[in-house]
Amino acid sequence: MTTIGYSGKDVARGKAAGRSAIGRLWYPYLLIAPTMITLVVVSLIPFLYVLFLSLHDVRYGQVRDFAWFANYATLLSDPRFWNSMLVATIFVLIAVPLEFMLGLIGALILNRGIRMRRIVVPFLFIPTMMAPIVVGLLWKIMLAGSWGLISYNLLERFGLFKEASIFASPNAALYALILVDVWQWTPFMMLAFFAGLQALPVNPYRAAAVDGADPVQTFFRLTLPMLSPVLAVIGLLRLIDAFKVFDTIFLLTGGGPGAVTESPSILAYKLVFEYWKVGEASALAALVWIAFFLFCSIFYHVARKRLNAF
Amino acid sequence: MRRPCDATGRTLAAPNPLVVGLAIALPWLWPATSHAWSYKEAAAPYAVQSITVLDEVTPLQETMQKLVPQFEEETGIEVDYQLLNHFEVINRGQADLLSGRGEYDAIMVHSPQMGLLLDAGVLRPIDDLIANAELTSPDVDLGDLIQPSWDTVAKYQGETYGFLTWAYNTVYWARGDLLAHPEEQAAFKAKYGYDLAPAETLQQMRDIAEFFTRAKGEQLAGQTLESDFYGILLEGIKGGTTWWTVWNSFVRNWGGDIFDEDGSPSVDRPENVAAIEFWGDLWKFGPPGMAEASLIDVPTLMGQGVTAQALAWSDFGLGIDREGGSPYAGKFVYAPSPANADYGGPRSAELEPSILIIAQSSDAPEATYLFLQWMADRNTQLALAEELGAGVPNRYSLFEAPIFKDSRLASLYAAMRGSLEYGEAKPRVPQIYEINDVLAALVQQVGLGQLTAEQAMAQGQNEVLSICDPCTLSE
Amino acid sequence: MHSERSRRTTDLLTVLVLGYAALILFPVVWMATMMVKPEAVMFERPTVWWFTPTLEHFEFVLAAGFHWHLLTSFVVALASTVLVVLLGTPAAYAFARFEMWRRDDLFLFILATRMAPPVCLVIPFYLIYSKLGLIDTYIGLTIAYLTFNLSFYVWVLRSFCRDLPVELEEAAMVEGYPRWQVLRRIVLPLLRPGIVATAVLCFIFAWNEFLFAFMLGGKTVKTLPVAIPTLITTQGVKWGEMAIVGIVALVPILIVVFLLQRHIVRGLTLGAVKG
Repeated sequence: MTTIGYSGKDVARGKAAGRSAIGRLWYPYLLIAPTMITLVVVSLIPFLYVLFLSLHDVRYGQVRDFAWFANYATLLSDPRFWNSMLVATIFVLIAVPLEFMLGLIGALILNRGIRMRRIVVPFLFIPTMMAPIVVGLLWKIMLAGSWGLISYNLLERFGLFKEASIFASPNAALYALILVDVWQWTPFMMLAFFAGLQALPVNPYRAAAVDGADPVQTFFRLTLPMLSPVLAVIGLLRLIDAFKVFDTIFLLTGGGPGAVTESPSILAYKLVFEYWKVGEASALAALVWIAFFLFCSIFYHVARKRLNAF
Repeated sequence: MRRPCDATGRTLAAPNPLVVGLAIALPWLWPATSHAWSYKEAAAPYAVQSITVLDEVTPLQETMQKLVPQFEEETGIEVDYQLLNHFEVINRGQADLLSGRGEYDAIMVHSPQMGLLLDAGVLRPIDDLIANAELTSPDVDLGDLIQPSWDTVAKYQGETYGFLTWAYNTVYWARGDLLAHPEEQAAFKAKYGYDLAPAETLQQMRDIAEFFTRAKGEQLAGQTLESDFYGILLEGIKGGTTWWTVWNSFVRNWGGDIFDEDGSPSVDRPENVAAIEFWGDLWKFGPPGMAEASLIDVPTLMGQGVTAQALAWSDFGLGIDREGGSPYAGKFVYAPSPANADYGGPRSAELEPSILIIAQSSDAPEATYLFLQWMADRNTQLALAEELGAGVPNRYSLFEAPIFKDSRLASLYAAMRGSLEYGEAKPRVPQIYEINDVLAALVQQVGLGQLTAEQAMAQGQNEVLSICDPCTLSE
Repeated sequence: MHSERSRRTTDLLTVLVLGYAALILFPVVWMATMMVKPEAVMFERPTVWWFTPTLEHFEFVLAAGFHWHLLTSFVVALASTVLVVLLGTPAAYAFARFEMWRRDDLFLFILATRMAPPVCLVIPFYLIYSKLGLIDTYIGLTIAYLTFNLSFYVWVLRSFCRDLPVELEEAAMVEGYPRWQVLRRIVLPLLRPGIVATAVLCFIFAWNEFLFAFMLGGKTVKTLPVAIPTLITTQGVKWGEMAIVGIVALVPILIVVFLLQRHIVRGLTLGAVKG
């Protein structure tokens, strides 16, 4: 690949020419068209259908009368709904920052370089690679009351949780699930951040080294700002996904004990598959969506202005 | 008389006059329907059709799968017999029925599902097919199907929706070797004043549970325990069949129920509270993981020798109580689900009668009906038992068959027979799964000691009231 | 001396990372031992650490045809990932590079497609697919996966795009390279780490997805996660077989990550970023 040298004059000329070359209106829209069309067909239409369902009385999958906001009213006045939102919020507020920090530290270490990195990285990544259903069963094996490997060998030996098991203990169940989530998704953060670090341009670091900056300064002044787009995006995506966690919770606690681990997804599952209250489930989807949309919009604009992350 | 010769000159045998006479007279003497009814003939008009059937995967259906080719061969009807596990058969099956997609002609349905499906009107009654003499074998012997299981699950407002194919039931399960041990027997008699034997009443079950709950280091049947041992194991997970068992094996044995006669919720009755208090009290004799124990975990743990007694679904016993299934295979004893010694009213046991229904959207109802009839047929069920070496009879007559009567698991079959006598299907309440969820969560908290039975039932009453009142089918 | 200290630090960090790896992989290793552990001792208390291995679980898995499910999973995941990369890369680049009318709104719209809990979307999808006859088809499932993978891909890749130096592209244009060549020759190679990392993640999501595969699949299209619950039988969970399926499901991805990581890791050739 030929390298392209350029001088300051070229840059100026390039900018002048480039602006008209690059800024032509149709080009960017052409680039995004395939994605936008696909998403409209594949995502927007089903979602509009969900909204449609949420506004009707849907009995057993058969759409009946138009019901205005009856489903929403039922849901908003149901303490079970609010409980599920609370559960998910606590879950996300503890799990995601943990994953973020551990992932970032790990990525920095990997980026700095360790021996046998090429072999270690794929293995470190295993928890994220495993099917959530397998992860759920794996941790059931580990932590199930009385026969789980860890429960039996470690916890019972030390007299912890002797009367009840972790997943049935209303205080510990949610934290056990958070542990599982952190175990599962930290590698995801690590890999994404690692890729981000690897993709950073080298020159600024060289300049910093020449200027005699120490590692801490380099990190905060150089790495963090340059990495902030990746950090913001991955963090936000993980936040959204953590809120929607389903497979592991379903397998390990089923939403129990009581409703202590009943996240919105678990509640939605029950509404759809056990009670066939499709209208209410659709309203739940719409409400969660609205909450997220507001949150993400604010996050996006703030991150763009303050962190230049978008 | 000179014998006639045929063309080659050989002498023809003289026709026997008796045979000739009979041959002429026979068609007149025998009834007009001299053909015996057969699946083959009944299926003749439908022989080129193919049907898709969804059933649940347990060893029974897995064995049935091996027999299906026989039906196909005999009738020419092609049967795609698919098996999915418990949750999937409910989710996918219902989705298929309710969306009208109609991929399946017949689907296995558990009794709690009937309320919802009847309300949605997606089931095809089979009365017209039963009445059709060409489609229904004279030996179908519907009276042989176990009652009240069949009536309560399959019939509604005069219409029938399927045959009782799978008569799942719960039984009392105990470690026979421990119950028979002379030292234990002596100690038990000394403490409780009656002989140690498989529990016939819930109170006995409790005594035995208390007696056998021992810590590590203590003696059990002459040996020192290497880890804690427990007196009883019950399902305690939030969901599963926990609430069904509490309801039918306990609450109703106190004369309680969660609905009154017109279907209004009456969860907070004193009888219910008493029953659940009793049930919750049993938790102290159970292992710590009981709150996570599902209907699958209970037999698994029982098979591992963790506890002395359990209430479990009998079909699991078939898999556990065999060589290679458990270190204690052969040492188990069974009895019908226990009664309440302090209650003189009707006895109750937890059952799950399951039927295969024909979808309203099916375009081959006759062919499907023949297959379902064949599945519930005595001969097929017997063949299934022979193939599997065990089974869960859906007919009274099957209990007399040697394979069940003389089996090494005779105690289990007797227990099944006993439980089946006292139980029935779940009531026709479309919201019953939602109610199950609510009450299972509450009773789990009672078991864990987080709520008293009274609090739980009071809360349960409020929550069930907000779900439905009255809780019945809407017409 | 600097490199001596650097080497010691490297060793220390290596030990740290290996320790972390050992800790988090312990459950997985335990599961791997279950692949050959006889049923009877699987969960015996006290825990049985040494045992004679058995192949009975492997026999069962092969007899049950799990290798077909593996193949199905691979086909669907690969197809949907390829589609996502083809559709999403230009879009990510465009969102990063150009000013567009209502760019932020469009970008948020893309993310919005991911915000509703999938559980709520499944039945509408099922109903729509049912009418279109897309249930139990490879196309159907692949398209359904576009819903969340495409938005994920565009969002993540865009953040990688932002770090690309504009000067290179501008200079190339000045030199007269047509736009598509600029994309191909300059932008894509620089984006390679981002594309590969994100594509791998998309592949993993598709590979492990359960709910949609379950409802929208069927007899023909049965991915590995959907086949796993069949091991939860009424005779108890078939843990040995489950362990096998779980571990085997890992192997292709492990290989993919291992092979592709060189695209993520910056090599010694630093490309065109000079001077």
